[in-house]
Amino acid sequence: MPNPLIALTIGLVIGIIAIIFIYPRKGILSRLKRSTRDKERVLIEDTLKHLYDFHNKNLLPTNESIKGILNVSQKKLNMLLEKLNSLKLITQNGDVFHLTEEGRSYALKVIRIHRLWEYYLADKTGVNPKEWHLEAEKFEHKLSSEDANKLAAEIGNPIFDPHGDPIPNEKGEIVEVEGIHLNDLSNGETAKIIHVEDEPHEIYEQLVTEGIYNGMEIRVIENNGNSVKFEGNGDEFIFAKSFCRNVLVKKTKARTEISEATGTLSSLDIGEEAEVVAISKACIGMQRRRLMDFGIVPGTKISAEMKSLGGDPTAYKVRGTSVALRKNQSDLIFIKNIKKAA
Amino acid sequence: MKNNQFDKIIAEANNLRIDLGNELHDSLMESIYKDASKIASKVVTVKDESKKYKWDQKLDRIITSRWFGLPLMFLMLAAVFWITIEGANVPSSMLASLLVDTFHPMLKNLFIDWSIPNFITGVLIDGAYLAAAWVISVMLPPMAIFFPLFTLLEDFGYLPRVAFNMDGLYKKVGAHGKQALTMAMGFGCNAAGIVATRVIDSPRERLIAIITNNFSLCNGRWPTQILIATIFIGGAVPAYLAGIVSAGAVVFIAVLGIAFSLLVSWGLSKTVLRGEASTFSLELPPYRPPRLLQTLYTSLIDRTIFVLWRAIVFAIPAGIVIWLVSNININNISIAEHFITNVNPYALLFGLNGVIILAYIIAIPANEIVIPTILMLTVMTAKITGMGEGSGVMFELDSVEQTASILYSGGWTLLTGINLMLFSLLHNPCSTTIFTIYKETKSIKWTLVSTFLPIVLGIGVTFFVTQVWRLF
Amino acid sequence: MKINQDCENCPVHNIGNLKKLGINMEQYDFVVALAGNPNTGKSTVFNNLTGLRQHTGNWPGKTVTRAEGAFEYNSKKFKIVDLPGTYSLLSTSTDEEVARNFILFGQPDVTVVVVDSTRLERNLNLVLQVAEITNRIVVCLNLIDEAERHNIEIDVRSLSRELGVPVIAAAARQKEGMDELLKFVYEVANGEYVCKPYRISDDSKLLSKAVVKLQKEIEESFPGLPNSRWVALRLLEGDQSIIEAVRSGELKNLLNTEISSKELVNV
Repeated sequence: MPNPLIALTIGLVIGIIAIIFIYPRKGILSRLKRSTRDKERVLIEDTLKHLYDFHNKNLLPTNESIKGILNVSQKKLNMLLEKLNSLKLITQNGDVFHLTEEGRSYALKVIRIHRLWEYYLADKTGVNPKEWHLEAEKFEHKLSSEDANKLAAEIGNPIFDPHGDPIPNEKGEIVEVEGIHLNDLSNGETAKIIHVEDEPHEIYEQLVTEGIYNGMEIRVIENNGNSVKFEGNGDEFIFAKSFCRNVLVKKTKARTEISEATGTLSSLDIGEEAEVVAISKACIGMQRRRLMDFGIVPGTKISAEMKSLGGDPTAYKVRGTSVALRKNQSDLIFIKNIKKAA
Repeated sequence: MKNNQFDKIIAEANNLRIDLGNELHDSLMESIYKDASKIASKVVTVKDESKKYKWDQKLDRIITSRWFGLPLMFLMLAAVFWITIEGANVPSSMLASLLVDTFHPMLKNLFIDWSIPNFITGVLIDGAYLAAAWVISVMLPPMAIFFPLFTLLEDFGYLPRVAFNMDGLYKKVGAHGKQALTMAMGFGCNAAGIVATRVIDSPRERLIAIITNNFSLCNGRWPTQILIATIFIGGAVPAYLAGIVSAGAVVFIAVLGIAFSLLVSWGLSKTVLRGEASTFSLELPPYRPPRLLQTLYTSLIDRTIFVLWRAIVFAIPAGIVIWLVSNININNISIAEHFITNVNPYALLFGLNGVIILAYIIAIPANEIVIPTILMLTVMTAKITGMGEGSGVMFELDSVEQTASILYSGGWTLLTGINLMLFSLLHNPCSTTIFTIYKETKSIKWTLVSTFLPIVLGIGVTFFVTQVWRLF
Repeated sequence: MKINQDCENCPVHNIGNLKKLGINMEQYDFVVALAGNPNTGKSTVFNNLTGLRQHTGNWPGKTVTRAEGAFEYNSKKFKIVDLPGTYSLLSTSTDEEVARNFILFGQPDVTVVVVDSTRLERNLNLVLQVAEITNRIVVCLNLIDEAERHNIEIDVRSLSRELGVPVIAAAARQKEGMDELLKFVYEVANGEYVCKPYRISDDSKLLSKAVVKLQKEIEESFPGLPNSRWVALRLLEGDQSIIEAVRSGELKNLLNTEISSKELVNV
């Protein structure tokens, strides 16, 4: 028998190595798999996406801009661009690159998978909104067009991704979203957020942390040109202009529903009754549909019945049924007319 | 021509969808419920609050109260186990004396009378029959008691309240409160616990519940735990403490299992299962008086017989294998002994021995036959005479002292005992359970994960326990 | 409320007309689909009719897979399909898809919606949705005894009038109301009872405009389709199976329910 100290050390080392190797996503094994598999495909697709993106923003993609996105050496980049040229996906005009028709539809195919996956994550899973985009960045290179169509069919052929971006259809057609930037609103105007830009990621993450989501209703309190002060869901926000440019809105005539709310369901005490005003648009997908299946729609009477041992979840009486909701769910249900239950 | 017309409809629908945005489902549900309320208000009259309702409310208040809720739950669980263990003792030993002690020698004599070759008698009677008989006598009585009791609580409406109470804890590890119930069901039988995960309607949470169910110490493993704890842990402390300490050790193992199931749930929900579909919903049904006979019948048929049948189907080939490895010789030494001698040095690193490893490999169909197999193999390899019934014939002894003496002469120590208890908790699910996992998930990947994850944990835990033990 | 008293003398109150056939269903004259919210006693109704004993429990969502059985009533053979219990038919979950597609493409001769009397309002959600898909519905108002204990009174006749379909009060656990249920299932299947189910009135202008527009186009291409509004709604929700049925023209097969109702489409 070996010395226990030596055995323990060896055991620990083996354990740690095993973890480093097989750890999901971040382990060496999955990294290796990612880096060897279709590395070229990833580079090609990212380049095409970049060109498409710049084209849409009326910017000119250059050698430098592509290099910045892909993070590769000049030599590698040259090889890549040559390949793209030979595949007739791009054309080069001096230092400026353009997508060919095929290149454009390829880029749209990648964007389609990206946005479908974001929709899937938002609709079916509990993955944090901050991670949708990053997960989709990895996933977009993994599907074929047929698989993408299957995925789309399974999730009900969505038209928009959770950020409000239109999803290209299987033929590669895409609609335009019309909207104005948040900082184009003037004092007192009301609007609905229709798009939250997910790049750059740092700003997007900040926006999500602040509680900004697609579909949120807002009212501008003050816009002084440099920053915008506005309110939504009973909270006040002050955003610098650079932030506002990442949020697209559509003006609405008057604030509806949520502005009437006096609180969220989670603030309802046991024995109290209230009327549902709306389910926050931050609650999406299966979660939202399930709440509505239970009969939680605007106008529904709801009363808090009892709290569980630990205080969360709480059971609510809705249309004659006791339904347990976790706090993160009841936080997203706006209510009014709180009174003692009958 | 016609096709164009159809395509036009779809194109039109897509155009309309762009205008509608995401509002469609919302406004549709709103309209439906508006109409539903309208109709309901016309036809339903509720007279003043009924006694029944008040009674339900009172009960709910007690069950979910801070002071009574938790003790009540443990009391219920303890009562179910106590009734199961106490109630199963007598029928189990009756079945064993009938199937194992009476029929087995009878059949064997019959085969000898008919001058059927030894080899066939061994395979059929000592192997196949005995394994099946063992599984029936050990599994049937406790399950026939446990499942109806559980089903009664379920039908009454108590279990959904338990899920409600436990959800706070399970939410923290990324799981569903109903997992508390499938876990409790797993204490009866992991295969049944896995079938029970059907009540979890969210795919991700259901997968977590399936993968971690094996950490519930099932019915087949309790006797092993109790026996080993009595011999080794009870034997290591003064006699007047033996009972309580060994009982404490078994409870500790069960609690350790719960801790592992929570830990693994957390790990899974943070890593591999992060991207799986997930929603939370839990409805609390009204209390309903359970129907005794119906419950007895359905839980017997749906759960007990179902699981038992699967177990027997898997036990028969295992019985044959057990007999064969102990009776086929290479160079005059049986395959089993070859294996044990070769594996022993490695097994010792984990505080186990070759016999235990072999027993766990060939007794995969049911944890119930692990101890009989271990005893048989120990007697065989340690060349103990006057014990057991020959190579490949599993046996058990009524006397704990005799069992202990066999194990001690097989070279077992307190460390072996502790590690066997740990390994019995942390090893692959039995083949019935593995098959059930496959049936329920329809995924080879998740079946493999559920099978190998506990073994890896078991190997790690026993290794570190052994080496740290040897340090001191 | 006391049920069945008047029925004791009624000629149809003859449980002898019912022959439970278990899973023996090679030949059948009619297909009955059994839909309902989870935990409404759907499986108990199923067991009562077929003589099978599926496990039921006081749990939302016990029956997960589709179960089939058979019975004979008034010398007609019925095949009965127990659909997964769902709150709704509008979501993308597998259960709802199975239930939805069976009611639409499987074209059952009768769809029995089992409803929990103590939670009528929420259960009506499903009834109204089923009524959008098919005209041949029987509502089984189950757990009526429990409603009684909770002092809830339901006017069964007005409910039937409002919904435009037969409504039967039942307590499946006590086997009460089963004979009457069978009678109406038989009549609706036979075409003796013609349902005129309630249709959802649209609230949202935007939605109803879109639905009307699409519905018109569908009716032009598939004249006589009984559930064109439902098809329009499903297209607007992006339901792949409906999109394909429209694209391939398969939807036409649903037009003549009388002829094709025996050919059960596997879903």
